[in-house]
Amino acid sequence: MASHSVALITGCSSGIGREAALRLARRGTTVFATMRDLKKDGPLREAARGLPVQILALDLDQSASVRRAVAQVKAKAGRIDLLVNNAGYGAFGAFEDFTDAEILAQYQTNVFGLMRVTREVLPLMRAQRSGRILHIGSLAGRMTFAGIGLYCSSKYAVEALTEALRLETAPFGIQVAVVEPGSRNTSFKANRQKAGLFEKNQSAYQAVLQKILDFGNHQSARAPGAKAVVDAIEKAADAKVMKARYPVGLDAKLYPLIRWFLPDGFYDLLLRRLYARFQP
Amino acid sequence: MNASPVALVTGATSGFGLETAELLSKNGYRVYASFRNPRKLAALRALSREQTVTLLFMDVNRPPTITQAIRRIVKKEGRLDVLVNNAGFVMAGFLEDLSDQEFRAQFETNLFGLLRVTREALPVMRRQRRGKIVNLGSVSGRVAFPGIGAYAASKFAVRSATEGLRQEVRPFGIEVCEIAPGSFATQVVASTRFGQKVKSPSSPYTPFTIQMEDRVRQEFAKGGAPSEVAGLILRALGDSPMKPVYLAGRDAKAMVFLKWLLPDAWFEALLKRAFPWSRSVRP
Repeated sequence: MASHSVALITGCSSGIGREAALRLARRGTTVFATMRDLKKDGPLREAARGLPVQILALDLDQSASVRRAVAQVKAKAGRIDLLVNNAGYGAFGAFEDFTDAEILAQYQTNVFGLMRVTREVLPLMRAQRSGRILHIGSLAGRMTFAGIGLYCSSKYAVEALTEALRLETAPFGIQVAVVEPGSRNTSFKANRQKAGLFEKNQSAYQAVLQKILDFGNHQSARAPGAKAVVDAIEKAADAKVMKARYPVGLDAKLYPLIRWFLPDGFYDLLLRRLYARFQP
Repeated sequence: MNASPVALVTGATSGFGLETAELLSKNGYRVYASFRNPRKLAALRALSREQTVTLLFMDVNRPPTITQAIRRIVKKEGRLDVLVNNAGFVMAGFLEDLSDQEFRAQFETNLFGLLRVTREALPVMRRQRRGKIVNLGSVSGRVAFPGIGAYAASKFAVRSATEGLRQEVRPFGIEVCEIAPGSFATQVVASTRFGQKVKSPSSPYTPFTIQMEDRVRQEFAKGGAPSEVAGLILRALGDSPMKPVYLAGRDAKAMVFLKWLLPDAWFEALLKRAFPWSRSVRP
């Protein structure tokens, strides 16, 4: 991607989104960094002083808000070369625990919101006959872990959207890929939404979920931060031809390989063993 | 437990659901077959006259109808041994062409609906400390074809939900598996919904969509009989333990094998050969 290009990045109040906005801006890219709540713009605004970063309000759940933000970018910059669909969060709980509203909320942000932004940006990219779309997926889009199954399912959906969009938009010169970080020490933990039943200590899976949560927190506390993810975003943006997937981190590279290598039955047994370790 | 297990099959007015309801009832299950559209009941009514199949109204997008249906089964039978989550449809169209509502509708039925029914069935099964749940996935849960990206995304999610549920409920004596069919000669093509903008003159994807549609019709016309999938479901229910995934149809097996075998770029190159329009055309 040429350094004087224009990028739109969602979910920039913290974590991967904020770091990606700063990194791209430092190399001269005009960055439109969006966040739902402009009251959280402090850290980015501070760090982006003197850099070509413009902060916009964008609520993924609201079509009108998405339309408005993309129209603003179009009016100010006239083009979008790179869209990074980064905004998202992780729901935590057993499948049985989630209410309809909790399930919908997870999908509104991670899947429907991602499509809302993509749908708005595509006409512009088609007119340009060029453009790159990077979804921030996850290792959780390749393997499903108990306790974060709903989150995983949303990231599986993102994998499918990546595959389909790649083929659908290629005739217009548009490239699409998914970046798949494994466990990361980012704002992910702070933004996690726990199922109400679990919060109220009323889940039929309470004890095992608590152990999974403790384990997950322990893992992410020791995990690396956003840097390698931003490296991958930069690498994909600069590649002549984007690959479909950019796994980030040892776990994200290794676990899918193990799964690829093991027959279904063995993999199932492995998961069962893992889950048994969390039993109270 | 007495001789005949109790099974609930959702979306049973046609296709896999109808065939599964029939086959399970012939094999000693007490079958509750749920339907949403009362105008499509002819085949199911005929079946219920010959076999021990009870018709139940259920719209997986209306939670009270699910609660009522399951309450009725439990009241009458005292238990629920098998749930076949079959209800689903295809929302066809290139992703940019699908509106927000159309895209969401695909997930409401195929994923959220499945999770709603499962959520109502699980407490019953946990009490029994036994139960089997069969989720209808698809080869589209493994390979996302252009033109049915929303469907693929919903089925990728169903695959993941099956994997997650399988781990979570096993300690309660409940088993979960996925049946993943390829192309079968069911009503799925006839009942496919298209987004409003899809195939309209204003869409830049219209020529591609028409080519894809022809392609899909041909594949499905060549596809096996849906009774094959019903047979596989019956076999899966007999397995102890159930395998995590059962692929149905030669095309599904070939496709999944190729995707497993080939690096991403090679597999995509194969797809681009199959859909020549999807090659990048630069100005």
